[in-house]
Parts: sequence; structure tokens; C-alpha cells
Amino acid sequence: MPRISLRLVTVAVLVVASLAGSRTAPAQSKVTEVLIGSVLPLTGNFASLGQQYLWAAQTAEDIVNNDYDIQVPLGPGKGFPGLGGATMKMIVRDDQSRGEQARTIVEQLISVNKVHWINGEGTSGITSLIQPVVESAGIPLSCHPCASPTLTEKSLKWFFRTGPNDKTMVASVFSFLKEWPEKGGPKDLKTIALFTCDNLFCQDNRKVATDLAPKAGFKIVLDLTTKTGATTLASEVQRLQGANADVLFAVQYPAETVVFENDSKRAGYMPKVIATSNGAYSDETWLQAQKKTNGAAGWLGRDPTAIDLAHERPAWKKVNEIYKKYSRGQNMGELAMREITGLLWMADVINRAKSVEPAALQKAANETNMSPEQLIIDYKGIKFENGQNVLATGVVTQVGWDGEKHTLWPWDLAAKANFKPIFPSPSWQERESKPKPAN
Amino acid sequence: MTELAQAVVNGLQMGFLYALVAVGLTIIWGLMEMINFAHGEFLMLGMFGAWWLSATLGLDPLLAIVPIALVMYVFGVLVYRHLMRRVQGGDPFTQIFATIGLLFLLQNAVVAGFTSDYRFVNDTLLQRLGGARLNVLGLTFAVPLLLAAGLALLLFLLLYLLIDRTEFGLALQATSEDRDAARLVGIRPQRMFAMAWGLGAALVAIAGAILVNFFSVYPQVGLQFTVLAYAIVALGGFGSILGTLFAALLVGVIQSVTVVYLPPAFKDAFVFASYLLIGLFRPQGLFGRF
Amino acid sequence: MARTALVIGALAAIVYPIPLQLQGTTYYQTVGFLVLLNAMLGIGWNVIGGWAGQFDFGPQVFFGIGAYTAALLYVKLGVDAWLGLVGGVAVAAVVCAVLTYPLTRLRGHYFAISTVAIWMIVQPIGSTWEYIGAAQGLFIPVKTHSTIVGAALALQFSGPTKALGYYYSALALFAVTLALMAWVERSKLGFYFRAIRDDQEAAEGIGIDSRLYKVIARSITAAVFAGGGVLYAFWALSVFPEQVFELNWSTLPIMATVVGGIGRLWGPVLGAAILIPISQIMSTMLGTGPLAGRGIDLIVYGLIIVVIAAFRPTGLLSLPWARWVRLERPAAA
Repeated sequence: MPRISLRLVTVAVLVVASLAGSRTAPAQSKVTEVLIGSVLPLTGNFASLGQQYLWAAQTAEDIVNNDYDIQVPLGPGKGFPGLGGATMKMIVRDDQSRGEQARTIVEQLISVNKVHWINGEGTSGITSLIQPVVESAGIPLSCHPCASPTLTEKSLKWFFRTGPNDKTMVASVFSFLKEWPEKGGPKDLKTIALFTCDNLFCQDNRKVATDLAPKAGFKIVLDLTTKTGATTLASEVQRLQGANADVLFAVQYPAETVVFENDSKRAGYMPKVIATSNGAYSDETWLQAQKKTNGAAGWLGRDPTAIDLAHERPAWKKVNEIYKKYSRGQNMGELAMREITGLLWMADVINRAKSVEPAALQKAANETNMSPEQLIIDYKGIKFENGQNVLATGVVTQVGWDGEKHTLWPWDLAAKANFKPIFPSPSWQERESKPKPAN
Repeated sequence: MTELAQAVVNGLQMGFLYALVAVGLTIIWGLMEMINFAHGEFLMLGMFGAWWLSATLGLDPLLAIVPIALVMYVFGVLVYRHLMRRVQGGDPFTQIFATIGLLFLLQNAVVAGFTSDYRFVNDTLLQRLGGARLNVLGLTFAVPLLLAAGLALLLFLLLYLLIDRTEFGLALQATSEDRDAARLVGIRPQRMFAMAWGLGAALVAIAGAILVNFFSVYPQVGLQFTVLAYAIVALGGFGSILGTLFAALLVGVIQSVTVVYLPPAFKDAFVFASYLLIGLFRPQGLFGRF
Repeated sequence: MARTALVIGALAAIVYPIPLQLQGTTYYQTVGFLVLLNAMLGIGWNVIGGWAGQFDFGPQVFFGIGAYTAALLYVKLGVDAWLGLVGGVAVAAVVCAVLTYPLTRLRGHYFAISTVAIWMIVQPIGSTWEYIGAAQGLFIPVKTHSTIVGAALALQFSGPTKALGYYYSALALFAVTLALMAWVERSKLGFYFRAIRDDQEAAEGIGIDSRLYKVIARSITAAVFAGGGVLYAFWALSVFPEQVFELNWSTLPIMATVVGGIGRLWGPVLGAAILIPISQIMSTMLGTGPLAGRGIDLIVYGLIIVVIAAFRPTGLLSLPWARWVRLERPAAA
């Protein structure tokens, strides 16, 4: 007898407690705070990328909510004028570089925090894991530095990317290499070796390169996929040396790039041209560290903006000052620039929509036609097709002996930058003997 | 032919670096049979220690070996006394569980303190010899790596002498074989385990101080080395110090030689495949005592 | 008494997501999904680790194999998820049996490294084999179904009842796994496993083929992991090598099992129900705002684990309260 009532009582208590806990949603009142959910890899394997996105988020929030005399969207004035001065609040969450964690956090942000927009994740692989959830929930999702072309090839209605994807980026590099001979460059570059890590990010770049290299007139003589997290690349370098390609197209993370540099030094390996796309080349920390050894001199790669000319943009300088408040003094790297540009675009969308209703946001996003003057980055503007900004382009830059990047392409910007390309890539002895840029 | 020979040389050079990382593990796991998931974090702490001393005091990592070894010895003893000793009474899996917790704790404590940025140590003694090469018989030997290899060899020799020729070492071995019997002859097992942990932690931290000359430092750096270290200790065989050294060299050579002819993405896969192959014929590793 | 507790537990599990659905806070349903998934994996791991007593750090390989098999069957042949589950489980069990038999020559920690070895070999295969998508993995396109039944049959949920559907699918799979493992525990198989764990030589002395039963135990574990992998694949809607072969898919279930108590059927359930909500709460409270990026939540999480290990090395189920309520008889020693 007592057992049955215990059971009944327990169940009854459970049901009553849970029903008592449920409340109806509060009536829609005037929005005073726009909630942006930001899921980023702040710990784990991609933490060094994630923290740059965190600083970018803090910068964007600062710019929107405070009055700055900067010619960027939402710079002047406090908050969103279109929403009566409502402020933007970024709820940043750490997904530990794990996919299921990111997916779970996104559900939390949407269903518990009731955010109006999700920004993240920063890496293409995990972003594609959160796309279905956000698409299903019907609110906008944006990832600006994610470069995998597949993200915008799934016919999604709620995903937006202001940054270029790998196809555009790698294409810039090969356009430069193809046009270089006619503009005073070397005429005897014929062979190319591909050297990429084995995860999604590197492999996306490699796929595009295998497609574009022959079209640019190069013969692929070696295609090496290396293990991410390799402790040594000596044998790989040995094979590269054997293949002796004119151009090395390398896409590796900073840690592996350092291993590659050390192994190449020991083997005395240096191709005529080192071309890259993202990876270490995008990492501010790596670039700064290379200034001590001239390790990056002669490396060329793509960038979203002509960094050397960006100093002509007052907006860039001012935004950088704000960014440095959060980044412990580190300058905006190209990843941070892409992210901030995208976040300010997002703020502009919300402002134009004059509402946080998903449908209004989606409409305003799709109607975007932002001119390049408002950007701190060298896109031709912002205009979307299937969620991809088709005006996102890039430039090709090269690291000089001063440790800074200089624009090589497109040719009109290169003329303004007035930088003589370093060719061939300097030998290790030359790097060691030449003076290192003071830090 | 020289291609192959050069690959063997490269592999041996790397093998000595791996041996450095494995030498700490061979005490704690190889000898005392305690699984330590946080071994990579001890390595990482050694690397961070060396970097920090270099960045703030300008101390060369080779000199930093002494303070780092001392600090990490104490740390290892503390970890044993306050954590591992308690879990020894339970299931072996609890040891694993406890050290996983330790991994989270240590790795993220460093993230909290130093962030996940890549750090580099510059201008060290070994790095200044950076491009120096010895050319023998048409093969290139990198001088800094040779020096590191020399250090590794020295450490191994010292450890071997310690374990196999001193009373302390014999007491350690006795404790690992039969705790109760050891107690009967007056050895205090708790003390032995604590010292083993201290020694293991100190050794792998020394490895970190040396590795810092060649690799970037960041909180997640431990895993890639530890995975290989585990394979090395098991391949060499439990209880055999010199077995670990030999296995480390073998692993380095396998890694290096296979990649010259086969896809590099399988670099570590080949090492582990070799382990399986060898394990089929020698289930207790190459020189294992148990 | 144990029966009553079981019924209450089952009812609570069934009722749990309903008020959440009414409130719209589907996140908590997803947390429940993760708890059920990891509990299921833990129960599976218990077979090779807890009962047979072998150090197995490689079951994530079969998690991945299950995920890939079901995803491939769906993407290339249009085979629905539940049938894909059967396929995934079968493939994983067979592969496991074939691979494990030679490995059973190795004992103890040597065996442990061999399980890691298989994992290290499978990973680059996953990231370079073009047929299964290499590093870019496989995408499972979402198909919206007009009825709940249709969605449930295909394991493809969308819209506002998405998380709810996945929760109940996980609950169903979990319940089936629990029932099957409970049966194994009490069967001859369970007895042989535990005999091998306690004293392999003695077990062989009474005629138990230890190698065969280790293979069987591991294959059962592999089957359960493969099932979990299939569930994951259709929940995540993509299968990437880095995601499905992640070491975390075995360390979390192992941790849950240790927290709850190794070798006890309900150990992993208790462990998962404790560890996962704790990590979620830590992340929510400490992994955001000004503390974001400093990993504070993980420090606390690590601390909690260390404390639990230090003060209760035999698992939380061994606490006296379990005996007071007489949730179950203690597992045969």
C-alpha cells in the first residue's frame, strides 16, 4: 500500500512542479537590448583563433554602443538609432573547439537566452554543424572568417558570410602568379608543390589549388597532405626538396609552420616562391614572432585588405585603437578585420530593419548594398547572393624585410603601395645575416 | 640511397627528442604502472616555465633546466601525495579519471594565466647554432639536434644507472613489483611512489625546457608528443629504461622513413601499425620485463 | 523497491521534456539528449572496461564507423536512419571482432595502447579517403517530414519539435541498450567476462576461452558505440572525421562510468547525469562574459573531477545511500 502512494505522489509532484515552472512568454515590449549570441572556440585546439574573434566582438560592441567619430556603420551615436537607441549585447560562449558543444550552446542561446542573431563559430567545420540548428530556428546566422565554400552552397536561407571564401582567396593568389610575368615578374615559374595539413580548413584550400594551379599554367609535381599536429616535417621537406618545385603552395597552422621552417633551415630548403592562403600567414602572433628571425620575409599570401594602404584609411586606424584596448596591444590581424567588418555589417542590418523580427532581419540582410567607403577592409562592397558576399575580394601581399605585409596585387593597389616584390625567396643564410626588424 | 640514409639520420635526431619526452613516462607508467593522462601537461608546464624564465629573466632554457626540474619534482610529489595516493586504492580506471581531471585543470589554468597564444623563445644558445650543420659522408646532421640528442642520452644513462644500480632504484623496482613484500624489507611504498612521480615530472619538464628551443609553446602542445611517448614506452616494454630509449629511436626512424615513400598524413599511423605488428610477436614489448 | 525506482525513473525521463517544450526552452532537452547518449555509451563501455576489465581507449573508432556507415548508406543509397543503425552496428561489430582477435594476445596496458593504435590508424584514413568525403566529411541533408511518425521513422526531426524528437529517440535507444546490457550482465556471458577480469588464468583453467570472450565483450561495446554514432550522425547532420573520431567520445563515457561506479549497470547513467549538467552549468556561468576565453569553467570542472576521484575512488554509486534505497544488488564481486 505505501509503495503505490509513494509512486503516485512522486509522479504527481514531478508533474505539478514542472507545470508550475512553466511560464508563458512575456508580451513583446519595446526592444531595449539586441541580443547577439556568439559561439567561439575560446579553449581547445582553435583557441588562438577564437580569442581574436572575442576581441573583435568586444570591439564591435564598443563601437555600436558608444559614440565614436568613425566612418563605419553605427560608429557615431550610441546604440541603434533605428531601434530608438537600443544597445547591442554580445553573449559570448566558449565551445571548447568541440562540435557537439557548439551545437548545444547554440540551442541554449536560441531557446533560453532568446538571442536575435547568432554569430559564429569561426571555424568552418563547426559552423556547418550549427547551421542546421539555426536554419531550423529561423533566425540569422553569420560567420565572417569561415572560408569553406560549402557553407554557402547548401541553399540555406538564414546564413550570411561577408568574408570571401577559399575559392576567391586562392584564386587571388593564382591570378597574381599568372599575371606576374607580364608585369615584370619571373617568366620561368612552371612547377608547383602543394603542402597542406589534413583537416577541413587546409584541404578546402588544397582542393581549390589543385583546380586552379593548372589553369594558371603550373604543373603540380608534388601534393603532400601532412598530419595536423606533426612534431616533425623533416621527411616532408626532404620530398619537397627532391621535387624541387618553383613554387611552394603551403597551407599550415602556425605551430606546424614553425616546425616546417626549422626543418627547412636544417635541410637548406628554399623554393623560389612561397605562396600561402590563410593559416600561419593570417596569424598576427606568428607574424610578430617572425620579425625576430626574418622567417616570413618573401612569403606571399592573400589578405582581405591592403594592410600597408590601410593606414591611409582613418577609420582603420581608429578601429585599431579600440581593438588594441581589448587585445592587449596586438594590432588587428586580418581575421579580426574580417570579423569586425562582418559584425558592423550585422549591426547595420539590424538598424535598417528597425526591428528584431527574424523576417525583417533576413530581408534587410538580403537587401544589403554597402559601399566600400564604409568598410575598414578592401572588399568592393557588401552584396549577397545565396548568403555569400559576392563583392568580397582580397589582395595579395608579401612580407618584406621590415616584417610587414605589402600589397602586390591587384596591380592598381600595388602601384600605390610601391613595393618591389622580393624574388626569389631569400635563402636561410640571407635571412640570418640581414638585420631583423626591431620589435 | 642517400635519401634513405638522410631520413634515418633525421629520424634518429627526432627519436632522441621523443626519448626525452618518454623518459619521464617510463618511470611513472613503465615502472610504477600508473596511467597519467596529464603527462603532456607536465611537458607543457616545463615548456612554459622555460619560456617564462627566458621572457622575464632572459635565462637560457638550458640553464633553466635546473630550476624547472626542481620545481616540477616538488609538483610531481604533491600530485602524488594529494591525488594519486588516494586513487591508488580504487580501480585503475579511477587513476585515469583523476589524471583526466588534472589535465583539464592544468591546461586551462595555463590558458587562464597566459591565454592560448603561441609563444616563442628566441635567441637561445641552441637556436644560435641554428643553421650549423655537420656534413658527414654526404649526410647532414643538425648541430642543435645533436646537442639535444646528447643531453637525452646523458639523461637516459643517468636514469638507467639510478634505477638499475642504486639502492633507491632497486627499492623503486621492488615497490612496483610487490608492494607488500617491499614493505616487509623496510621500504616505504608511499615514499617510493611519491619520489617516482617527482622524478617523472622533473624529467618530462626537462624535456620541455629542451624542446622549447625547437617548438612553439602553447597550452595545447602536450598531446601530440604524449601520444607518441605512450607508444614508445609500451613498444620498449614496461620496466625497461633502455628499452624506452631504443623504442624512441625506432619510432623516430619509422616516422621519418615511411613518410619519404608513403603519404605523410599517416605518419603516426605507421608508428602505431608497427607497434601492433611487433606486439603480435612480442606481447610484452621489445625489452619488457612485465 | 528497485522496480518502483525504475518506474519512477522511466516516468521522469519520459515526462522531463514536456514542460520544457511548453516553455520553448528546448536547450534542456538537448542536454538530456547528451546525457542519454553518453550514458548509453558508458553502459556499452562498461562491458569491455567494467565487466571484462580491459583497458579500452579506442571505442570512439566504432562510434565513428557507425556514424559513417549510416551516413553513407543514407547519402549514397537513401537508406533510412534506423536501418542504417542496423548496418552501422553490424559493420562495427564485425570490424571490431576481426581487429580485436589478434590484439587479445596483449595484456593490460599493452592492450590499452593497441586500442589507441587502432584509433591513430583510423583517423588519417577518415581524413584522406575520398569516398567517404575525406576531411570534408559527409553532409546529411535535412528532409522535412509532414508527420511526427514519419520524422521519427527517419530520425530526421525539424521545426519546433526537433530537440524533442531527438530526445525521445535517444531515450528509446538508451532504454534498448540498457535492457540488452542488463540481460548480458545476468547471462553466462556476463559471468565469463567478470571471471576473465578477476583472474584470467583461473578462468582459462576452468575452460573459458579468454581471447574469444574478450573479443565478444569488445564487439558488444563496439556495437553500442556504433549505435550512438548513428544517433549522433543524424542529430548533427554531418559526419566529419575530426568530430566522430574525437577522443572525447570515449573519455566522457569512461569518466561517467567511473563517477557512477565501474562495473555497475547504472553507474554510467548516474555519472552522465552528474557530469554533463555540471559541465553545462559551469560553461554557462563561467564560460561567458568577462571570464570568457580564460577556461575558468574547465578549471572548475577539472577540480570537481579531481575531488570526486580523490574522495570517492570507487565511484558515487558505492555511497551508502545506494544501499539504503536498495537501487540494485551490488555487482557480483
